[in-house]
Amino acid sequence: MPTIYDPNSLPVDDNINHYAFSIDLNGEWFTSKGAMIAYYGNIDFSGVAAFASRAAWVAARFSSPLYTQDWVVAAGQGKLVIGDRGNDINSYDLEDGNLTIKAVNLLAFQPSLELKQSIVPGFVTLIGTGKFLASSNGPVIFVEPPFRADPDALLGWADCPSPSQHYDYNWMAQSFMAGIQGMFGRESGEERQYDFTGAGTILMQSSEMLRVDSALMRIVESQTNLLDANSAGALGHKLIARAQQSNM
Amino acid sequence: MARLTAEKKVLHADLEGDSVKAAAGSMVAYQGNVEFKNAGMGGGGGLRAAVRQRVAGEAVNLMECTGHGRVYLAQDAFDVTVVDLQQDTLTVESEHILAFTKGIQHDVQFAGLRGMTSGQGLATTKLSGTGQAAIISDGPMIALAVAPGMPLVVDPDAYVAGTGQTQMSLVSGVSWRSLVGEGGGEPFSLRFEGQGTVYIQPAER
Repeated sequence: MPTIYDPNSLPVDDNINHYAFSIDLNGEWFTSKGAMIAYYGNIDFSGVAAFASRAAWVAARFSSPLYTQDWVVAAGQGKLVIGDRGNDINSYDLEDGNLTIKAVNLLAFQPSLELKQSIVPGFVTLIGTGKFLASSNGPVIFVEPPFRADPDALLGWADCPSPSQHYDYNWMAQSFMAGIQGMFGRESGEERQYDFTGAGTILMQSSEMLRVDSALMRIVESQTNLLDANSAGALGHKLIARAQQSNM
Repeated sequence: MARLTAEKKVLHADLEGDSVKAAAGSMVAYQGNVEFKNAGMGGGGGLRAAVRQRVAGEAVNLMECTGHGRVYLAQDAFDVTVVDLQQDTLTVESEHILAFTKGIQHDVQFAGLRGMTSGQGLATTKLSGTGQAAIISDGPMIALAVAPGMPLVVDPDAYVAGTGQTQMSLVSGVSWRSLVGEGGGEPFSLRFEGQGTVYIQPAER
């Protein structure tokens, strides 16, 4: 028989097991939509936009308009159990620091932290002091720069400047044709990596299931504003061709 | 008496000349002298149970394991939890049943709206009596107590099973509706009141 928890015996801001976390809520937390799997007590969940209309501080803390649809504010008193599709869940404490993390892996954070969109698409940055929860596919591995990461396994990074993209030298030199293909978006292997330099910590997960980040499409779409009309049209044709190819 | 023991993702069923019912095809190995036979479409619950299960879409294909020895049961690398029942009822979706001992009856209960929200059909399976039941979950099961004055709210997609005398209702408060307005999200959650235990899994279906 498993341990039977009640509101008093549930852990206080700690993991119940590798895959579930119990928040001792007394006030507010930002949580990603759908992260709640159970709760005791009086807890209200409101959309970020709806909550912001009552509490002006929300807008200052949650400065990521593309993600407001995916987040809610949990407010009240009680024990809130967080889970994410059976992925490992870890809590992290930031002390006057900054940490950038893959947006789909961020599950919850205290409002003492400030959320911003990272320049790297699909990542968000947390700044300030407080606790946040993030999921990972398998245990998290911490690495120090200089380090090159496979973008698929990259979970996030703390304190480092933003990563640059690194293309494998042999891959570039071996075949100029391959270089051209890369420009056409036909790269498929490990030739592209994220290069980290400077001081900080890099977070890796041991495997990666492809997760849909609805905001990522909106980010990339907004970046197409950089293109002129002709290039945008050409890009559109390529994307249609790719969609048709993957449907076959 | 047959004894069920959970060993992480494998269930040990120790038989002493008696039998347990298990999900068909869940046997991975056995020691000793054990016979396996299909318990029929009613899961051994008779024709009325069979008809109810068909109507409710809660059909479960069970086999009866009889003999002396140890049977190893597992399914889809899901975690196994053994629940001891003393004149109690375990309400569970049929797909989460791995095995149960003699002395436990297996029947279908119409669950009403809850089944609709989780897309599991309008009924759930009831295991009642005295004995042991083994249920499976995606990730280790978390047991949460429900007591008077201590209601519990769970995500319908994380809910697996429950025991005791609990009343279930749907929560779709104003705050929940405002979530829907912002696209996606979970429009309903389940609120449990009364006295009992609710089992949830960390992975939403």
